[in-house]
Amino acid sequence: MPFIFINGQPYQVREDTNLLRAAQEAGISIPSLCDHPDLTPYGGCRLCNVEVKGLRLPAAACMLPVTDGMEVYTETEDLVEARKSILKLLLKNYYDSGNGNADKPNALLKWCDYYGVDTSQWTRKEPRYAIDSDPNPFIRVDLNKCILCTRCIRACAEVQGRFVWGLAERGFDSQIVAGSGVTLLEARCESCGACVEYCPTGALTHKPSFGAELPEKKVQTTCAYCGVGCNFDLNVKDNRVIKVTSNPNAPVNGVHLCVKGRYGYQYIQHPDRLRSPQVREYLLKGMPKPPAGESPWVTVSWDTALNLAANKLAAIKRESGPDAIALLSSAKCTNEENYLMNKLARQVIGTHNIDHCARLCHSSTVAGLGMSFGSGAMTNTVADIVEHAQAIFIIGSNTTEQHPVIGSKIRQAVLRRKVKLIVADPRRVDIAEFAQIYLRQKPGTDVALINGLMHIILKNNWQDQAFIDQRCENFDAFREVVEKYPPELVSKITGVTEKDLYKTAETLASNKPAAVFWAMGITQHTTGVLNVLTLANLQMLLGNMGVPGGGVNPLRGQNNVQGACDMGGLPNVFPGYQSVTNEAVLEKFNLAWQTTHADGSTPPLFNNKAGLTSTEMIPMAGTGKVRALVILGENPVMTEPDANHTRECLEACEFIVLQEIFPSETSHYADVLLPGVTFAEKEGTFTNTERRIQMVRQAIQPEGETRPDWEILADLAKRILAVEKRRPTGSHAGWDYASAAEVMDEIAAVTPIYAGVSHARLNTGAQLHWPVKDLNHSGTPILHIGEFTRGKGKFHPTEHLDPQELPDAEYPFLLTTGRVLYHWHAGEMTRRSQGLLDVYPDAYIEIHPEDAEALGILDHQQVRLSSRRGIALGKALITERVSPGLIFANFHFAGEQNGNNLTIAALDPVSKIPEFKICAVKLEVS
Amino acid sequence: MPFINSLTELVHLQEEILQRKREEITSQPFRDGGPEKFAPLALRADQELDAPRGKEIRVVLRNCTLIDPESLDDYIAEDGYQALATVLTKMTPEEVIDTISRSGLRGRGGAGFPTGRKWQLTRNSAGSPKYIICNADEGDPGAFMNRRVLEGDPHSVLEGMAIAAYAIGASQGYIYCRAEYPIAVRTLNIAIQQARAYGLLGKNVLASGFSFDVELRMGAGAFVCGEETALIASIEGRRGEPRPRPPFPAVSGLWGNPTCINNVETFANVPQIILTGPDWFAAMGTEKSKGTKTFALAGDVNHTGLIEVPLGITLREIVYDVGEGIKKNKALKAIQTGGPMGGCLPASMIDLPVDYESLTAAGSIMGSGGMIVMDEETCMVDIARFFMEFIQEESCGKCTPCRVGTHSMLEILTRICNGEGVDGDIEELERLCKVTKTHSLCGLGQGAPNPVESTIKHFRHEYEAHIYRKECPAKVCRALIRYEIVPETCTGCTVCAKNCPIGAINGERRNPHLIDQEICIRCGICIQTCNFGAILALTGEQN
Repeated sequence: MPFIFINGQPYQVREDTNLLRAAQEAGISIPSLCDHPDLTPYGGCRLCNVEVKGLRLPAAACMLPVTDGMEVYTETEDLVEARKSILKLLLKNYYDSGNGNADKPNALLKWCDYYGVDTSQWTRKEPRYAIDSDPNPFIRVDLNKCILCTRCIRACAEVQGRFVWGLAERGFDSQIVAGSGVTLLEARCESCGACVEYCPTGALTHKPSFGAELPEKKVQTTCAYCGVGCNFDLNVKDNRVIKVTSNPNAPVNGVHLCVKGRYGYQYIQHPDRLRSPQVREYLLKGMPKPPAGESPWVTVSWDTALNLAANKLAAIKRESGPDAIALLSSAKCTNEENYLMNKLARQVIGTHNIDHCARLCHSSTVAGLGMSFGSGAMTNTVADIVEHAQAIFIIGSNTTEQHPVIGSKIRQAVLRRKVKLIVADPRRVDIAEFAQIYLRQKPGTDVALINGLMHIILKNNWQDQAFIDQRCENFDAFREVVEKYPPELVSKITGVTEKDLYKTAETLASNKPAAVFWAMGITQHTTGVLNVLTLANLQMLLGNMGVPGGGVNPLRGQNNVQGACDMGGLPNVFPGYQSVTNEAVLEKFNLAWQTTHADGSTPPLFNNKAGLTSTEMIPMAGTGKVRALVILGENPVMTEPDANHTRECLEACEFIVLQEIFPSETSHYADVLLPGVTFAEKEGTFTNTERRIQMVRQAIQPEGETRPDWEILADLAKRILAVEKRRPTGSHAGWDYASAAEVMDEIAAVTPIYAGVSHARLNTGAQLHWPVKDLNHSGTPILHIGEFTRGKGKFHPTEHLDPQELPDAEYPFLLTTGRVLYHWHAGEMTRRSQGLLDVYPDAYIEIHPEDAEALGILDHQQVRLSSRRGIALGKALITERVSPGLIFANFHFAGEQNGNNLTIAALDPVSKIPEFKICAVKLEVS
Repeated sequence: MPFINSLTELVHLQEEILQRKREEITSQPFRDGGPEKFAPLALRADQELDAPRGKEIRVVLRNCTLIDPESLDDYIAEDGYQALATVLTKMTPEEVIDTISRSGLRGRGGAGFPTGRKWQLTRNSAGSPKYIICNADEGDPGAFMNRRVLEGDPHSVLEGMAIAAYAIGASQGYIYCRAEYPIAVRTLNIAIQQARAYGLLGKNVLASGFSFDVELRMGAGAFVCGEETALIASIEGRRGEPRPRPPFPAVSGLWGNPTCINNVETFANVPQIILTGPDWFAAMGTEKSKGTKTFALAGDVNHTGLIEVPLGITLREIVYDVGEGIKKNKALKAIQTGGPMGGCLPASMIDLPVDYESLTAAGSIMGSGGMIVMDEETCMVDIARFFMEFIQEESCGKCTPCRVGTHSMLEILTRICNGEGVDGDIEELERLCKVTKTHSLCGLGQGAPNPVESTIKHFRHEYEAHIYRKECPAKVCRALIRYEIVPETCTGCTVCAKNCPIGAINGERRNPHLIDQEICIRCGICIQTCNFGAILALTGEQN
């Protein structure tokens, strides 16, 4: 540790740091404008120049490495004089048209004030550049306030990894430009707003909140979009969310956010919000049910709505048994709410028919990894991988669009640490730009591809035999199957060249640890579980399990899809993956949740058979086997495959209770609408993709008559129990929760992997990754260290199987579906955030230029896709991201624009996940 | 194509080439006292490079005009690559560095850092691979010393680089040449190819086990890329912007690896030092500045062009012996050395010895070799404005003092020249000079104030005349002067009227003419064309 002298005082400082940082840490303030601790030092503003003994000229502290014995003076008369001069020079090219960012200090003006430089005297008197010069709906550009510190340029390059901003011209004419002087969006800006966040003067500001008043309070909470689990501050004034601001203490993301998290908040208090309970008129009048949507909605009291729902559900249960009711829980809701939903299903209704959208995204991951390792979640943390991985293999994940902050962190790892990145995806997704090797395998050939890589690894004896011998089983059976996948064959199946296969295998074998990431490109196949098992095989083969920088890392989609699974929102497990077929577990929950009937009896609450998956319960609603659906914050019409069939099933369903924040495509079929709240209006926790449990904190009062979802669920449960004259008598059977924190305490009591979780711990900053074994346990950031959850890791031989529906003469194109950066899922939130809609207003359909040319389709032309199940309309986006013959559509837009009108409900036999990624379609100009 | 495997083979080849040349010469018809193809030096000289005068000694320019730059054989005939062969076969890297150190060679790019020490620092730095870079981004206006070497004797630079590479332990070199030098780029590329073909560059040079290759990178027109860290950024494909040092390139240079950057002229000296010995080199010059220096002599001297003189020579010897005096016998006013970041030295310093320390002490710099001689008709404020115009345009814009400071100085200087100077302008200039010089990031900004500072120091009265008396003593600044025809002297020859580009002069033939002051643009053509001295330039109170 070097000793240095600052202004005559000795200080012991860290090694490998610069003087500015060392001084800051010693509590000595040195003025600076271009420096930011997150960014590479620049040395341009010259405000941090200090006098150093032995140096001829003052030196920029931000770029001066500390050396033992260094003598520095930071505030001499000469320096003060020079700083005043430098500030005046900066003001000479600074024109202030007003401050649109009231709560963000302007660093230039701050230092002018500090050094007594009169800004009114020295600033420009007229603007030099156009004010608000870029049409981006999120980022407001006013170069008149730019002091050329280049923090925006460095933030874009080093934080977001996008290289949109640059410098043009030189000398006094220097200016920041997007791309080669085009608009931000033309320069491929992803609108993450990092440049704004790092701008010290307000030359770049957040356009949606420009001119907003000072917030009354800032509430740190967890983002409700994807599973990355970013934290930020909701800024509140007069009970309104006026903006989102970065919180540097955010554990996952720091100050970084993506466009949806930072700017997609307008939906929270959108006029469309459901503000009071509603029921169909026919229910109030005791009339038979007319066709869906025909009976008008009537606004009613909570009592009326909940009593009606409770009575009807109790009646159906009485008539047809508990399994005539099915529940869809919600990956958008909190852990507490999912737990209550699971308790409502199992304790109150008595059915295991509970599922949620994880069925559609990672059910194959949960099943596959459960079989291989005994635990179906991401094994390592993002920070761990970004710091320690030597190679990263992304397969079937459009990381930069779907998990943008993780995507940018992977870009950082490639840029800063030269991590070897391999990307395999039938679509040339953006992250492929950063890849050393990009493999464009044919859709549905992942098993063959990975088996092919493992074949090469085994052939060259590159496997980690010690790891395999000590920690795994069933290796020989696996090896036998892999031997059937030589490069020639694999190349033929996958379309990947033998050379690329070899290069990939060699890169993975020679760069350890390697982390594997995947998402829907792996899971949403009829071979979803096989795909996952094969990736698990790969990581065991290379010995990449249970080590920092390695692991299997499925990126979970929804903000709390991990939590919804953890909380028993699945038909086969209680909270914490405790199996419904395990007698001891059944016994435990029968006791904990015990209810006593009027006659004093306490019959078992549930049977020991797994319930229906979402992809089963909806078709069964169509056949009448399921008579009632209770849906919490899901929109199956948009998100289930074969939307037309889904509509038919819901149409046929006798009774649907929907708890939602907006009227949705599904609410058309509902009978009772219970208005829930957004994440901004309630307390609770979300568990992110890394198994990290984080607080959701209430920032505003619920809109209108809406109530936090956990309260609604508890209220409904109590009413059903009352109708059935049952009293909760088990240790955790009651429903009188004063707060979400109390629900979490109950979760901890019955869920071993959450045993040590409490709101109190989270509120004092604990970073907990489950399993958290008790209140003193600090959690488990990396799974399977030393031993797998199931004991030995199990190799599963896997074989390539063709997808269910491949293109033919009638439907000659292969359709794959997914999402885009600017929208979220079924679009209820993002279609109600204006800027997002401005950038991405239509359902674009990606078509390869060759196909477009052959069919005479022009860019942005209206086209029509049809499959055996339906049609979808959209605008052509002609791009080489897709290969010839491949078409990509999304499901963000409703009605005829929904890509799920086309998809096929072909299910993986084990996990029942539908094959969203592959079906055959026809393409025409519409 | 001969592939040379040893010093012996190289010497044999030289003998063969010389023999061939002798045969060629004897079969040539004679012209002007020599064989046609090898005409005497004076005949092959040109406007840029004439026969040596005064105290000139040609070391760096020794082969220029004498050999065909596109012929490696010509270079070999002049002992080419024997220094490299000697180094590779007979010397350790340490001995090479020691030889260069003892010669006293200092960086000819301008800063004058001892070359041997720079090599030693790079050699000592941990990190590999190491790189050699030749800075051929000669950007000073009017300076072309390096261009001439690259165009006339490219192999001397390549040989110097190879020797340096051996000394520091590098196997790859880059020449960063400005794109405005297409002929230099061409000759260099030819030279690199030839040297590779002869086994003098590439893998296993002269079968010694030492490998070294050179790649040429072209600049994109930015003056600042002559600054070493900006140059490195440019080679790396980034915007040509300097960064603060330390770390110096010797520690962390190209792609973060130890890198030795020397100027063209530095490298061109190296083979001669090895061949002739450090003592020979050190015998030239002063105690601390050894050897010779090339200058591009320009301005108001009779003999302009490239010169090469021993360091320590006085300005007087350069101006009056080598430069053959001031044109039209006018009085010397000032000498500007060191390019646009140099200072203006007044005529009173005419006996200043030209070496690194003396020039710096006098408020100027050695620089890369620009030298502009100015006569009595030069306005020093205008000169300062001219240089500031260049510098503020070439500032990369990275650091505040240089980006805005130079622009602000130019604003004030322009104002003064336009007769709009106000009280306090000189003091404001001095303040700006101080902050720009002291707080700028790189040499460009740190040197930018030199023309202003030195002219204020030595010619403050001219600034004051402009500001307070609205007078340009040298009668250059158009806003402050007026041309008038003296009726008594005017013969009415009409020459001035005919030459006036805007027809501002009227008058009958054989009658005195009159200049219409309303439309006169003060271009001065009339005064230059009048054969009778009938036109006067007036300024200040005369005006």
